[in-house]
Amino acid sequence: MVRRIRKAEKDVTETLGMYVYCVIPSPIKERKSFGNIGFDASEVYTMDYRDLSPVVSDVTYRDYAAIEQEVEIHRNVVEQVMQEFSVIPVAYGMAFKSKKLLQIAMSAGYQAMQKALPIVDGKVELGIKVFLPKDLEPMGSAQKEECSADFLQNLLAVSSDCKKLKLFSERLILNSTFLVDKSTMDEFSSQVGKLQEKYYEMKVQYSGPWPAYNFVDIHILGGKRRGFR
Amino acid sequence: MFIIDDILLRSIGISLPGLDMIWTLEQIQKFALKGYYNPEKIRDQIKETRLLYEFGELDRQEYERMNSQLLHKLDVAQKVLEMDLGSRMDILG
Repeated sequence: MVRRIRKAEKDVTETLGMYVYCVIPSPIKERKSFGNIGFDASEVYTMDYRDLSPVVSDVTYRDYAAIEQEVEIHRNVVEQVMQEFSVIPVAYGMAFKSKKLLQIAMSAGYQAMQKALPIVDGKVELGIKVFLPKDLEPMGSAQKEECSADFLQNLLAVSSDCKKLKLFSERLILNSTFLVDKSTMDEFSSQVGKLQEKYYEMKVQYSGPWPAYNFVDIHILGGKRRGFR
Repeated sequence: MFIIDDILLRSIGISLPGLDMIWTLEQIQKFALKGYYNPEKIRDQIKETRLLYEFGELDRQEYERMNSQLLHKLDVAQKVLEMDLGSRMDILG
């Protein structure tokens, strides 16, 4: 009990740390600021690590719970960075107690990040979910398969790679994500449009562009969460 | 304090209907707990609720209410998993 109380007291004391949003290649060694768009309106800027730059902000070191508003801050920063750079995604909630610890993590993951660079270079991730509306009669598994295969086949033709994700609802027919070259995004979107017209009864969610979260999986400090840790 | 455990009795070939009944009920309870407090299943429900909101099948208020309930359920489920309520403990020593 005493230990618990002491721990709680300790947790109240605020310590400063660094939050990492993503990692970008850095041909120029200059510190770049993306403005005060980080957690608690902190400045988001690039840190120098060899030929890579983690995009960070100085924040209070705490546990970053997956709350919608906070996830949105992380997502917004990455979106801003993606407008100018190819991005190696970093899992939400990656805060380090000091610059030194972040440098150690960067050092541990350096090779894996170097390998990931050509995968993400000039590419974005686009997501497709095909959902059966509640007023539509349930489809048989063969029909679902056919619809899903049609989407996959047509979209794979205009993308570099594809990952099938979990069908977390019985009404979900397809949940996939595609790695698409930025230059062919319009072509991909047009293909999605054609498929939406063909399957007009279905609800189709087309999302992105995201950093290539599902195509880069670097584990640095272990743990259950995916992504750069 | 000496407790004659049902497992001990079974190991020597004695079956007491009362104890068997308790054991069966415990197994049913354990099974139900595992089904109800399955974090993976709850995470899927959270994602499904979000999707229903994004597709306009739930309004913001309904979505927030359901999401908050599911997040609480997930929190409890993770604690249940950590505690492993299925295992019994002799607290009387």
